Amino acid sequence: MTPPDAGGLPAADEPLDDLDLELLDGIRDLYQAADPMPADLPERIRFSLALRGLEIEVARLTAEEDMPVLAARSAEQSRTITFDSDSLTIMIRIDSNTDGTARVDGWLAPSQCREIEMKTTADTLSAVSDEQGRFAFASVPRGTVQLLVRPAEQGQSGSGQAVATPAIIV
Amino acid sequence: MVEDRTPISPTGQPDRSTRIAGLVSAARGGSEEALGQIVSELTPLLWQVARAAGLSQGDAEDVLQTVWMRLMSHLDGIHNPMALTGWLVITTKREAWRVRGAGRRQLPADQDWLAALPDREPGSEEQAIIDDERRVLWAAIGQLSPRCQELLRIIAFVPRPDYQAVAAELGMPIGSIGPTRGRCLAKLRALLADEPEGSPR
Repeated sequence: MTPPDAGGLPAADEPLDDLDLELLDGIRDLYQAADPMPADLPERIRFSLALRGLEIEVARLTAEEDMPVLAARSAEQSRTITFDSDSLTIMIRIDSNTDGTARVDGWLAPSQCREIEMKTTADTLSAVSDEQGRFAFASVPRGTVQLLVRPAEQGQSGSGQAVATPAIIV
Repeated sequence: MVEDRTPISPTGQPDRSTRIAGLVSAARGGSEEALGQIVSELTPLLWQVARAAGLSQGDAEDVLQTVWMRLMSHLDGIHNPMALTGWLVITTKREAWRVRGAGRRQLPADQDWLAALPDREPGSEEQAIIDDERRVLWAAIGQLSPRCQELLRIIAFVPRPDYQAVAAELGMPIGSIGPTRGRCLAKLRALLADEPEGSPR
């Protein structure tokens, strides 16, 4: 199939030639300059992949909102983030402590009693949600963190496998 | 596997398939080091896939994390490195559509930064010629359809030995001896040929 009006112009159905490859190199350089990947992204991804060896359900970040704190003298913001997986919705609210750390309050829906870990760049914190699905980490070092809801065990009210969120920065 | 002959690899990365296959199998065995290398190598491509789909920077970061986390449960099904790249690209596109479909914050079509190509330090005359070529190419890309812009942006970041697998995932026609130029590159070359300053060569 040769286009009738080719007139020396390259046809779509020809194999790639050197000029095509050179153009693609040029296109790559342009986008690399105009919209580079954040340099720390691969590191954050590696952080969130370190939880392995478990059957893990991935919870997607589905909503994020900044809300001004109502206390008049505070310029602080409170952030809420919602993660959804097939079996669980995890909602967290992040507030600032006066000592520079963060406070994270969370809810699981459907509400259930589960062990929850928060992995930080320093160590891993643990909490347990109550029957209403509420949990809290009172003092979390600022930086990259990731939540893991442990698989339900016998005697806990919840059911289902482990659920992990992507890493976020608090 | 006949497909392993990659006719469009003039710069030659003959060992790449073997190397990536080794990394995948080490990662499957639990090597964080191997997994980290795969992440470093392929995330720049996936960043462009997510951004070309119109995601904000923050959404693109979230989506890429989700894609890599999902890969962990698919590693056993990935049997060759070309399939790995294809799976990552198509999964990133699907996750990006899902985020956009959910009506989360979105970017307006970011055509504006097409004009905002970063200027380099003024340099030699040779540098000035290169800068002109970049501008001409940028302007030509800006005249392509959004679909062509997205496709070329993605393909430009795909390691060449993986073109075939990725092009197939993206619905580009594959000729009998490998990927063809396709409508978008043909159009770009026609635009550059029309350019009064001449083609970028």
